[in-house]
Formats: sequence, structure tokens, C-alpha cells
Amino acid sequence: MKSSDWKALLRFLGILLIAEGGLMALCCIPAYHFNDGTMVPVAHCAAFTVAVGALLWVSFARYRSIEDVRISYLFVCLVWIAMSLFATLPLMATGATVDFSHAWFEAMSGVSATGATIFPYVSALPASVLLWRSIMQWFGGFGIILLVLALSPRLGINKYSLYTAEASGADNTGRKTLKTTVTVRRTLSVYLILTFAFIVMLWASGMQLWDAVNMTFTNISSGGFSVSSDSIASFSHTQQYILTGAMLMSGVNFTLIFFFFTLRWGSIGHKLDQFRVYISIYVVAVAFVAIGLHMHNGQEWSDALRMSIVQTASALTTTGSVVDDTTMWWTPVCFLLLMLSICGGMAGSTSGGLKIMRILILWRNARTILLNRLHPNAVNPVRLNGKPVSSHITNNVMVIFMVYGLSLMLGVMILMLCGISATEAIGATVGCLTGYGPGLGPSGGFGSYAAFSTIALWACSFLMLLGRLECMTVLILFLPRFWKR
Amino acid sequence: MRHFNHRLIARLTGTLLTVMATALVIPIAVSLHYGDGAQYALITSGVVMVSIGLLLRNVFGRNASYELHELESFWLTSVAWVAVPMCGALPYLFGGVFDNVTDAAFEAVSGFSTTGSSVVPDPSQLPAGLLLWRAITQWIGGLGLILFVVATTRRMQVGSLQLYDAEFSGTQQRKLHPHMAKSVSRMWHIYTLITIILIVLLRAADNTGLDSVCLALSTVSTGGFMTAQYGLTGYSEATLTILTVFMFLSGVNVALLYNLFTLHWRRLKRNDEFIVYAVIYLIAAVSCTLAFGLSGNDWGYSVRYSLFHIASTISTCGFYTETPAVWPFWASVVTFLLILSGASAGSTGGGLKLRRLMTLFLYLRNYFIRMIHPNVVFTVKIDRQVVPGHYVNKIFGFVFLYICFVIAGAFMLTLCGSSIADAFCMAAANISNLGPSPLINSMGANLDYAMLPTVAKWTLMVLMLAGRLEIFALLAIVSPSYWKRR
Repeated sequence: MKSSDWKALLRFLGILLIAEGGLMALCCIPAYHFNDGTMVPVAHCAAFTVAVGALLWVSFARYRSIEDVRISYLFVCLVWIAMSLFATLPLMATGATVDFSHAWFEAMSGVSATGATIFPYVSALPASVLLWRSIMQWFGGFGIILLVLALSPRLGINKYSLYTAEASGADNTGRKTLKTTVTVRRTLSVYLILTFAFIVMLWASGMQLWDAVNMTFTNISSGGFSVSSDSIASFSHTQQYILTGAMLMSGVNFTLIFFFFTLRWGSIGHKLDQFRVYISIYVVAVAFVAIGLHMHNGQEWSDALRMSIVQTASALTTTGSVVDDTTMWWTPVCFLLLMLSICGGMAGSTSGGLKIMRILILWRNARTILLNRLHPNAVNPVRLNGKPVSSHITNNVMVIFMVYGLSLMLGVMILMLCGISATEAIGATVGCLTGYGPGLGPSGGFGSYAAFSTIALWACSFLMLLGRLECMTVLILFLPRFWKR
Repeated sequence: MRHFNHRLIARLTGTLLTVMATALVIPIAVSLHYGDGAQYALITSGVVMVSIGLLLRNVFGRNASYELHELESFWLTSVAWVAVPMCGALPYLFGGVFDNVTDAAFEAVSGFSTTGSSVVPDPSQLPAGLLLWRAITQWIGGLGLILFVVATTRRMQVGSLQLYDAEFSGTQQRKLHPHMAKSVSRMWHIYTLITIILIVLLRAADNTGLDSVCLALSTVSTGGFMTAQYGLTGYSEATLTILTVFMFLSGVNVALLYNLFTLHWRRLKRNDEFIVYAVIYLIAAVSCTLAFGLSGNDWGYSVRYSLFHIASTISTCGFYTETPAVWPFWASVVTFLLILSGASAGSTGGGLKLRRLMTLFLYLRNYFIRMIHPNVVFTVKIDRQVVPGHYVNKIFGFVFLYICFVIAGAFMLTLCGSSIADAFCMAAANISNLGPSPLINSMGANLDYAMLPTVAKWTLMVLMLAGRLEIFALLAIVSPSYWKRR
């Protein structure tokens, strides 16, 4: 690890901090409009963030490229940590919370697009903080790395290693051709257009512009923060369905959406494996949840179906918007929602979890192994979108699956060690690691993580980071070999 | 297309049932000796088993050709593992222990799969004959029904390797003898020898004869059926110590134990899995001792309890004794990890098996190194031999399916009214053939299996069989390869 690499790393961080400071400055607008007295502190935070960023940028302006692959892994982690660190500033400065652990939890939950909140009464927060939470998710949900790549092709960072670090393992589309910049531009344009479209749709359906902006930001990024304490339960049914649309969109591969809207349907035809599974899982789960809610929670069919459609989408895409007090729901339904959030949306979307692509590969691999044992001489390669997937990729996917499982187990144990009951620990771990947000018990439903002890909160924030960066990128930093010269 | 050899499956299952019926002779004799009145139930079930067995063997399976391919070996394994426990449940039904089929089947499946989850409210009230039958089911299940067939059927020359593979799937094993049938009979010899030694030792430690035999049979098979209501509470120190040693041994590969007894010590040192097993055992026992000791229990007691408890868990035996007054959380963590890891491959224990986990971890290490040095080529080596890539792939597939089964099982259990945490604990404990464990009680789960609804019991039975057969054999039944051929 050369010192020039470190300096280049600091320079890139500086650029990102300037961007973050700029977004922070946007939060002054609602503060001014609603006149809640938070404009000055937020402006100070923004100025401070920009100043630090600019200082880093200017000091290390000469260093333009990171050559060591290790530094780029480190960079990815540091980006999320630094972003969260500076994101705590507005939360603390406006007095939304005085406890740094709480602020850190909320910031990490925002930047990692998780949606677990520390605030029991969200409605009581100043407008600037509400907007900041939404912006964090919108910015973070998409992946800051992709933003970096899209906005400055001149950064000179080893794009390939960064991109694979962010979306490690399963994405076998276009890896060899390395048209990362093109992919990122497409993705970004889709993201911006979807955001705009959903704001307009929500506005048109009679929602306040303020709510429309915030809710779109948090739902299109599969984040899940809300501006009211009862998440999305108090919105009209139409608005809930529109938000469901946003959530479902956030779970679809953005390149696929791009092809769809640019009418290049020929390119989609043979890439639909993942999408089919995504929709099938969704439909089956909706049916089960609706039946469960009707039979065991005494909901009318119409309500059961609506809640099921909204909440299942929220879980599958790991958004975390909540339509009803889910803590009262039938246990198997809660269980299913947890499993859906572990499964996650499609690879190449903003959702968290393991991603359907991986589950699909593992499932087909298991099937192939079974067939091979029954018919040892038959050749049945694992196929995805019609193309064979090498056993090397399958094994790598399995490694991520295993590490994910281990992280879940260890997370549950650490939380239980902090004195949290087993069921709630499972809920909170899944919620934080997958980016779903709400857990089970007091931290689930419309609840918050406010009752968690400081250590538990730090453990949860670590899980969020782990989940967002898909484990490997973070865990490799703990390897002694990583730090050897 | 080649004809599917139904007849052979019928014939071998029939043989198995007939042989199993002869195993009833011992409990019948014991029943007569004690005069507990269970002999009629046992004799009746014996007659039923022999009739079904002979019917299958000589009518459905007459003139069967002894030609066995992969699909048939998996089918045979699954059919045998369903048919034998169902017949093994008959003595409980006829003896009036249970008034419904579910409970009887649960007890039998739990026995043959060496799980040890019991729905008998108080085993000490059972007639001696039935108590012994319970233990015998575990003893036979420990080494495997199919190995029983291979050992007892002289004509099973061809295909026995596949059968062995169908029952002990997915791990590379050194065979004891190039000839499969000889290899299997050596395994039975060593297994029987250890059992006899244990019986003698237990008897020497002042246990009653019946207790000694029942506990010995349940220990070497890592089954875990106990003879009294509150586990081994109240048994002497000597008994618990002997059991600790033998539980540890029964988690070791049977082939390796053979080497131990034939004084090939060097093989032990060269066996990576055994070393890992021993090291994990020691680390877990020491850390548990510290946890118990530091949280205020008596130190001597902590050492003894930890050694016993960890041996019981890692070998997936599932014996428990009086738990310490303070149960520190760390002990639960260690226990839970051990439940998942399980014992050595090729042993009578269950779980994921250490050999597989070692492969996984070595591969994981390589993955990390490759992240830093993308062009370095690494291989996974165990026992100084390279584990081929496709083999790693098979192991991964197995682990994935295992986890899927745990999740699906836990889901079914929540449908039956369990909480999510309880459901996971029960699913994990039963698919790893552990059975009862103080961990589960310490996590607040109500582990009275008798109180579960019927569907939950059948779910657990499927999990036990899936764990014992290592999944693939069970899935072969639902595989389209069989159903498409007509």
C-alpha cells in the first residue's frame, strides 16, 4: 500500500464530502419554508462538510489514481463510514438527538438505505432533519460508488475492482465487456427519471408535495424512512399502491428497466430469468400473506389483500415501509416477511438482501448436483438466462451465502448478549443486515430501535454496513493478510 | 430406457423388515424375564413385521435381479428409512404407550434416526422390553439401515458402494477394506465391540443391567434416548464420566476408531478432521468451563458438566443432566454453534459434519486471498489431499439444501404455533439429530415435544430423516427423474 494510494483515497473522499455537503445545504430550504429554526445549524453543518471535503480535495489534488486493489476495498468501506459520520452532524446540530450512538445509528441506517429508525416519534422532528433522512437514503440507496463512477469518469480509480466490490459475485452480465460507465449512466438516468415520475404521480394523487418528495426518496431507494410515525399507514389506498409501485421498481434490475423504457425489448427477452422468479415469489407471498391476514388477523379480504400487496413488496425489496402494526400479525406471516427480506430483490437494483440472482444460482446448483448423483453420466450445467454458469462462480456465490448466514447468526447472538429476547434479536438482525429495517417486537411495525442499548445499536449499525457492502468487502479488512506489505 | 428395479427394492426392504423382526427377540426375552407384560405387544409386532417382510420379499420381490443403479439406491434408502420406523412404531402402539399413530411414529423415527427427541412423558414407567426396544432402534439406526442390509445380505456385492454412498453421502471416505461388504462388516464389528465395552463399564459403575444396556446403545449410536424422566440427573459421577468419553468417541469416524483399536495410531495424527474435532471439543469445553465457573458455579462441577455437555452436543448425542444453577449466555452461543457443526463425517453423529465445514472454511480463506491477489491459484487440501473443485461444489449444494430444510421446517413449525426462535431451535436440533438440549430450554423454548400439534410432529420427523439421510436420498423420491419415466 503506497502512500500515494492513501492520498488518492482521501482526495476521492473529499469529493464525496463536497457532494454530501451540497445535499445537506438543500435541507435549509424546508427549514426556511417551515421556519422551524433549524436553518442556521444545518447551514453550518453543510458548510463544515464542504470545507472538510474541499480541504482534502485541494491538499491531495495531485493524486488521481488508486492502484492497489486493497485500497479500493478500504475506500468502499471508508466512503460509507465517512458519509455516515458527516451525516450525523445535522441530526446532532438540530437537537434531534444528543446521543452520538443514536445519531450514528440513524445516519448509517440512512446511508445504507436500511430504514431502521431510532426516533419513536418521527412526526415531531424538524423538517430539515426529515428531508435529510430522506436524502441520505436516496443518495445511499443507489450506491455512492455508482454515483462516483457516473459523475466523474476521470477519477482514474480502478473501476472494475470497485464495481465488483460494490456488486460482488453474482452479476455475470457484461463483466467481461466492462462497460461499467455505460451501465452506471443508464442506471443513474433510470433512477432520476423514476424519482421524478413517482414524485409527480404521488403529487397528482393528492399527496402534499413535501410528503411526495420524501416518500419517493425513501421508497425508490428501498430505504423505508417516513415523515410520519405510522410510516405509510395514514396515506390513502391509491397512494399506498403508488408507493408499492415505487418499491417494486426499486427491486428490479435497473438496466432491465432501461431496456424496457427505451423499447429495446429484444435485449430483454433472454435476460428474464431473475425477473420471472422475482414476480413469482412476490405473487405467491402476497397470496399467502393475504390469506394469513384474513384467517388469523380478522382483516376483511379487501384490507388483507391491500396490506399484503404493500407489505410483501416492502419486505421483498427490503424497503421497510410499514402499512399496519405488523407486530400483531400472525407469526408465519412475520416469518415469511423476514425470509423475503433475506432473499431481497434482483441483482443490480437498490434493494438489499442476498439478491434473487444468488438464490437462483444456488438453487439450480443444488438441483444439478442432485441430478448428477442420480445420473452420473448426464451433463447438466447450471444455466442462467440460458448461459452456463461456471462452478467457480457458483462456489463464490455460495461463499457469500455462507458468510451472510454466519453474520446473521453472530448478529443474533451479539444482540442476545445485550439482553434482547431471541425473537426480537432475530428480527433486528435480519432487519439491519438485509436493509429491511423493522424487526420483530418493539423494534418492528411502527416501533423504533430507541430501547436498544448503546452496544446493541453499534452492533446493528455494523450489520447495516456489512449488509449493504455484502459482507466480503468489509470482512476482508479484518484479515491480517490484508494489512501486510 | 432401463427398467426401474422395483422388485429389488421390495425384496431388500422385506429382508430388512424380517431381520429387524428378529431383533425383537431380545426385548421379548427381557420382557419375559421382567414379567412386565409387554411381550404380547412385542410378539404381535414381530409377527406383523415378519409377515409384511416376507410378503415384500417373496411375493413383490420374487426373482429380483440384483442390479442396482443410483436412482434405485436412493429409493431403497428412502423406502427403507420410512418403512422400518413405521414398523418399529408398532410395539409402542400395541403396548398401549401411545393411543395415536403420530406419537408412536415420532418415537420410532426419532429412534432410528438417532435423534432422541422423545414424546414419552416418563420413560422410567415404560415396560423393560419397550425401553430396550427404544434403545435398540437407535443402535441399529446409528450405523445405518442400509449398512445393515449390506452386512446381512451376502448377495449384495454389486452396488453396495452406491448404497453406502446413498446413506453416508457427500464426504470422501477412506474405505476400511477394498471389498465393500468386508469394510462394512468391519464397521459393525468395531461398533459392537465398543458397545460391549461400554455396557461392561456402565455395569461396573453400579448401574442396573437394563440401564447399562439402554444407555450404552443410545450412546454409541449418538441417539440420546434416556431411561428416566429428568435425563441423567441423579446418575453417579463415574457413569457420567464414562458416558462423556464414549460420547466423544462416537463422534469420531468409525473407520478411524477401527484404526485406533488395531493400533494404527499414526492414522489418527494424520487425520485432519479428527484433529479439528478434538481441538474444537477442547476449546468449547474450556470456554464453557470458564463461563460456568466465572458466573458463580462450583469450579469442579463446571469442569465436569462442561466436558459432559460439550461431548453430548458435538457428537449430537443429546444426553442432558442436571443443568448448572446459572446458565451463562456464552454457553448457549458455544452450544448453538456446535449443534450446527456436528460430528465427524462417517461417524454415527449428525449435523453438517466437520469435514464439510472444513472444506467450506478453507474455500472461504482462499476466496479472501483471491480478493487481494486475483491471479493466485489455490486448492482446498484436507489430509494432504486436494479436494477437487466439483467436490467442493457438491458440499456447497448440500449445505444450501440443509439450510433450506431448516428454514422450511421452521416455517412449518411457526404455522403450528411456535415462536420464530423456538421454531429455529427445534428445526436445527432435529435436523442435526441432536434431540433434546439444555440450550433450547435456556433460550426459552418449550421443548416438550409431546405438547406439539400433529403436523409439527410430522414436520420434525421429516427433518430428522432428512438430517440422517443427508437430504439427497430423500429428495430423490420427489425428483422428476423417477416420475417422468412412465
